[in-house]
Amino acid sequence: MKKCHITFQLNGATTEVLVAPNQTLVGMLREDLGLTGTKYGCGEGDCGACTVLLDDEPVNSCLVLAAQVDGRKITTIEGLADGDRLHPLQNAFIEKGAIQCGFCTPGMILSAKALLDDNPDPTELDIRTAISGNLCRCTGYQKIVEAISHAAKDHSSPEEKS
Amino acid sequence: MNLPKFDYEAPSDLQEACEIKACYGDRAALLAGGTDLLITLQKGWLAPSRVVSLERLEELKEMAGFSAGLTIGARITAAELAESWLGTAEQVLSEAAAQVGSPLIRNRATIGGNLVSAMPAADLAPPLLALQAAVVLNRVGSERVVDLEDFFVAPGEQVMQPDEIMSEIFIPNLPEGSGGAFEKLGVRKALERSIVSVAAVVSLDGDGKTIAGARIALGAVAPTPMLAGEAADSLIGKKATAKNFAAAAKIAAGEARPRGLRTSAEYSRLMVETLTKRALQRAFAAATA
Ligand code: FES
Ligand code: FES
Repeated sequence: MKKCHITFQLNGATTEVLVAPNQTLVGMLREDLGLTGTKYGCGEGDCGACTVLLDDEPVNSCLVLAAQVDGRKITTIEGLADGDRLHPLQNAFIEKGAIQCGFCTPGMILSAKALLDDNPDPTELDIRTAISGNLCRCTGYQKIVEAISHAAKDHSSPEEKS
Repeated sequence: MNLPKFDYEAPSDLQEACEIKACYGDRAALLAGGTDLLITLQKGWLAPSRVVSLERLEELKEMAGFSAGLTIGARITAAELAESWLGTAEQVLSEAAAQVGSPLIRNRATIGGNLVSAMPAADLAPPLLALQAAVVLNRVGSERVVDLEDFFVAPGEQVMQPDEIMSEIFIPNLPEGSGGAFEKLGVRKALERSIVSVAAVVSLDGDGKTIAGARIALGAVAPTPMLAGEAADSLIGKKATAKNFAAAAKIAAGEARPRGLRTSAEYSRLMVETLTKRALQRAFAAATA
């Protein structure tokens, strides 16, 4: 098994890794790079706990080989805050009580980020569809939907706040 | 999360990928979206000596319309199909693509992978069967075109040889006044394997009322995705009325060959009937839109 030498953008930084060909993207992030914000749940694409952005699109990182991200751009939950300043979605999740155990939260927030980057003014259905690949066993989703909608409003009308 | 050991290769074009397949055959597993393959590897159902990623094959990522029809590269994702406006008939494919797995899965799952995996419930197979699609299979030095209706053999099995790679899907142009629609039954809206799915395409005569052509395809009710040929033929020359659609739907229910695995065979047939009626009605509406 020849190791693969890959270079990719990870949360804005050029990153080089020598990775086993049978390592998954979630495995590399967590085990090789120590970024444990990305969670590992089912390993089969069903739970969305492992969601990361691959070239700005949310994907299940348990279903991507690490070697496949050579030359690509990856954003994990660790890449969202700007220093000490949390991302508006992170703030909204805290404010609206959308986090209980927190296991689904990184994936939820990344799916939500991809949605809002594309569609700053989503309907409730848009939001529910966007997070339909992310399971939460704690919150019942209501507060998550509220948090995303709150973050969207925050985003789209900054003038109202000032 | 442990995968078996294998070597990884990412050829830069179709030619190189075909050469690897010529050399290793079944020992080289092709990786497109990975939404099936990685699970298969993890479960140990497949133990290839190498995994060949198609990630860099840009020629499999093209979608183009010609006078004869539309070609869709095998690596086009479900998300890309769901977001594309392909035409009043071809929207049957976009509708189905929008219901594949979840948004996360749709961003990775490819049209080629959905067909090659050959699952009875594959979401994209019925629309493509209804659209009379053909697939292009490449190997070193040659390619062949196989009608999709001759492609599926059994659950998880299709006609591809160990050295072949699917490069594109071809959908012939339909006459003006054609419409398509897809209906899927599941117990939830995301991450669901269809219990029954139906795709219908109808083409209308110049009068906008008489059916000149019809194709109905069923998913998850036979060992392979299948055409309901008699049901479709029964509509030719008839008026597009609820009564005629209902009669055709009944025939389709009889043509289905459910094995009663996930639901009783009787229920599957009833649902084929209901969904076929709906799909025909909506396909007609799309044709007249
Ligand atoms: S761990 Fe990837 S989807 Fe569950
Ligand atoms: S907060 Fe516990 S799984 Fe969502």
